Amino acid sequence: MFKRLILEDSSIWYIITAFVTAATIFLTIAWRALRMPRAEADKFAHLPFTTDANERHDPHA
Amino acid sequence: MSGQKITIEYNDRVVRQFLLATVIWGAVGMLVGVLIAAQLNFWQLNFATPWLTFGRLRPLHTNAVIFAFVGNMMFAGIYYSTQRLVKARLASDFLSSLHFWGWQFIIVCAAVTLPLGLTRGKEYAELIWPINLMVVLIWVVFAVNFFWTLARRREPALYVAIWFYISTIVTIAMLYIVNHLSIPTSLLHSYPVFSGVQDALVQWWYGHNAVAFFLTTPILGIMYYFLPKAAERPVYSYRLSVVHFWSLVFVYIWAGPHHLLNTALPGWLQNLGMTFSLMLWAPSWGGMLNGLLTLRGAWHKLRTDPVLKFYAAAVTFYGMATFEGPLLSIKSVNALAHYTDWIIGHVHAGTLGWNGFMAAGLIYWLLPRLWNKPLYSTALANLHFWIGTVGILLYVAAMWTSGITQGLMLNATTEHGTVLAYPNFLDTLNTIRPMMLMRVIGGGLYLAGWFLLVYNFYRTVKGAAPVNGTIEVYDEAPAPDAKLSLAGTFFSAPTLFWFLAVGFSSMWMFGTDLVSTAGIVGAVACLIAAFALVPSRSQAWGGWYEKLLLNALPFTLLVFFAVVAGGLIQIIPTVLVQKAKNVEDRIQTPYTPLELAGRDIYIREGCYLCHSQMIRTLVPDILRYGDYSRLGESIYDHPFQWGSKRTGPDLARVGVKYPNVWHFRHMENPRAVSPGSNMPTYPWLFSHALDASVMPAKIKVQRLLGVPYGPRTAQQIFDSMDEQAKGIAKDLRTAGAYVDSDKEIVALISYLQTLGKSLPVITKSAPR
Repeated sequence: MFKRLILEDSSIWYIITAFVTAATIFLTIAWRALRMPRAEADKFAHLPFTTDANERHDPHA
Repeated sequence: MSGQKITIEYNDRVVRQFLLATVIWGAVGMLVGVLIAAQLNFWQLNFATPWLTFGRLRPLHTNAVIFAFVGNMMFAGIYYSTQRLVKARLASDFLSSLHFWGWQFIIVCAAVTLPLGLTRGKEYAELIWPINLMVVLIWVVFAVNFFWTLARRREPALYVAIWFYISTIVTIAMLYIVNHLSIPTSLLHSYPVFSGVQDALVQWWYGHNAVAFFLTTPILGIMYYFLPKAAERPVYSYRLSVVHFWSLVFVYIWAGPHHLLNTALPGWLQNLGMTFSLMLWAPSWGGMLNGLLTLRGAWHKLRTDPVLKFYAAAVTFYGMATFEGPLLSIKSVNALAHYTDWIIGHVHAGTLGWNGFMAAGLIYWLLPRLWNKPLYSTALANLHFWIGTVGILLYVAAMWTSGITQGLMLNATTEHGTVLAYPNFLDTLNTIRPMMLMRVIGGGLYLAGWFLLVYNFYRTVKGAAPVNGTIEVYDEAPAPDAKLSLAGTFFSAPTLFWFLAVGFSSMWMFGTDLVSTAGIVGAVACLIAAFALVPSRSQAWGGWYEKLLLNALPFTLLVFFAVVAGGLIQIIPTVLVQKAKNVEDRIQTPYTPLELAGRDIYIREGCYLCHSQMIRTLVPDILRYGDYSRLGESIYDHPFQWGSKRTGPDLARVGVKYPNVWHFRHMENPRAVSPGSNMPTYPWLFSHALDASVMPAKIKVQRLLGVPYGPRTAQQIFDSMDEQAKGIAKDLRTAGAYVDSDKEIVALISYLQTLGKSLPVITKSAPR
């Protein structure tokens, strides 16, 4: 088995398998993300601003 | 609105502390960087002093800018943004303080030990084992504080910046622990448990992903929070940010082997590293475009706002560096660029442009808010930006030119590829000297810009009262239907399919005959079943995914599994394969005790930072340095010393090249035997006596690690060292060089002379 890993030409299949596995997971998640409803995406995108309206800075020694 | 209205006061004190530390350590790290760049031009700047030589200061520079400068900046940004994104104060003031002071203590320990030559001899992982333990402890403190804060959050949704922070915390913990596994030989010294090719793979799996998960993902999280805040508009595409995150997590972890292309690393791992590095192009540029497009409609503000200037330039440099990285990972490009200054230019486009400018933008944005006072001088901040930008461009252009020149000259051949066009390595060095000088000027300008920031910082906070942000929120319990239990996370169809697919694929890859066939059948069946179920189950699976994004613990665990899979599939076969019984062609002979002591001196002086020990499977490498390096020739090297840069020539087969006296003269005054060399002198090696008393403990640990030393008493070890040292001293005397046999130089010569001496393997080999 180990010599196979080092020497055989078939080792290219390991790369292809890893590539296909990673690509499948990535494409699935990308598909989910790209189908996110606009309202939800807007809500998430505005999270950094939700505290702006009422945040104040108090002097603190 | 149900729930009680409460006021939260953020812990901004720790943010201020980390910010101040960023400014100070940034100046120190960059100052050392300019010094060591100058040392490469003017060897006299090494001052013939051990703790001021390039080999000892270079690790100080890299550790200072990575862990002290970017580390402190990252903690400041994470703590400031997380509290506001989750609407909760940091969970524990004590842990926050412990985190800050613990991290600074670690940095001080590093700043003391590295110049003293106390090192593990692995790039960006040089710190000795007691400091490693402190790093792990403080990282755990950080993780507990962070996740405890998430558990107390009042905002159910986790903004994408938090995802990036989570991936940083879990991945760095895994990488750091695995790459720092060592067995101590004393309080200040240890040997890594890995050796040779496995150590090389683990090191660059760590090294590459330290760039990914220490210098990139947390800073991307900071970008996704602070860039919209500075531009006063939300991120261009939240959807793209989600894709950006998942693709980085799934792809980055696999790309480490691109640091070892054309070496003795098994070919499938090299191809794996190259393939995944090329895949990184898309998500990195997606993230860069997302950052730049966030500025749409706000570009006019760049004229006056230094913060946006820094952010826009930083994101541009991120794009440039992440374009260049995959390019350099193509094997044929790498054959030209690896071991040259091009890599240094690439790294600094990322660190100075991306990390340094993001840090500057963060500091200029936070200063007025944390001290409730306008920035002392916007004009100075703008000046900082322009000086810094010119500095980076000079630096990077110089290193590109220098690197490509080096690559072309060192690889150039004549006579139909059978003779080197520039056989003397120093021809190359002396050709690139003007570019090396331009690097010092570029780095100096960047440092000058940073000092402007230091002054601006000082004038802004002088006399100002620190303030903590407060908000009023409704204290509400989270909706019960949004909860996702651990059982619900792992016993869900998407997770089970993922585990089954990885399991079957592993059987297919690593099994033989029946196991391999079962793996193929299982993997294909798994894939068909998953796709068959999509139409009927897509809504339920979608609901599971939505819940996952609201539940920090299951999310964290799945991110951890995603990154750990990439690591295990690369590391486990390599760890298993590197056994003497599997090695073909040539195998290393274990070092004698004196040679091992000499090797530890070689590591102490940081020789590996300028000299590689890996002759690549490339014709010019073989013509210049000898037969290509075999996997078995470094099998007992704890740590490996393949190196990553050739400021000087490769040393893999230097042992059969010169007499002892040549090395003696060379270490005494490199220019005496190599006119034009920029190597420092090492006078202390001729006066310091070798500490032989530590060798029995070191040999014991080497045996424990599997190096085939026979049993021997301490006295036998001392006798062996004494006999070999006297032989070398006698040979030196015959050649007119006088030195006592107990001096360090003798041990170092014994080590250098053994490089390249290995035994042929005559046993069975696999049919090709």
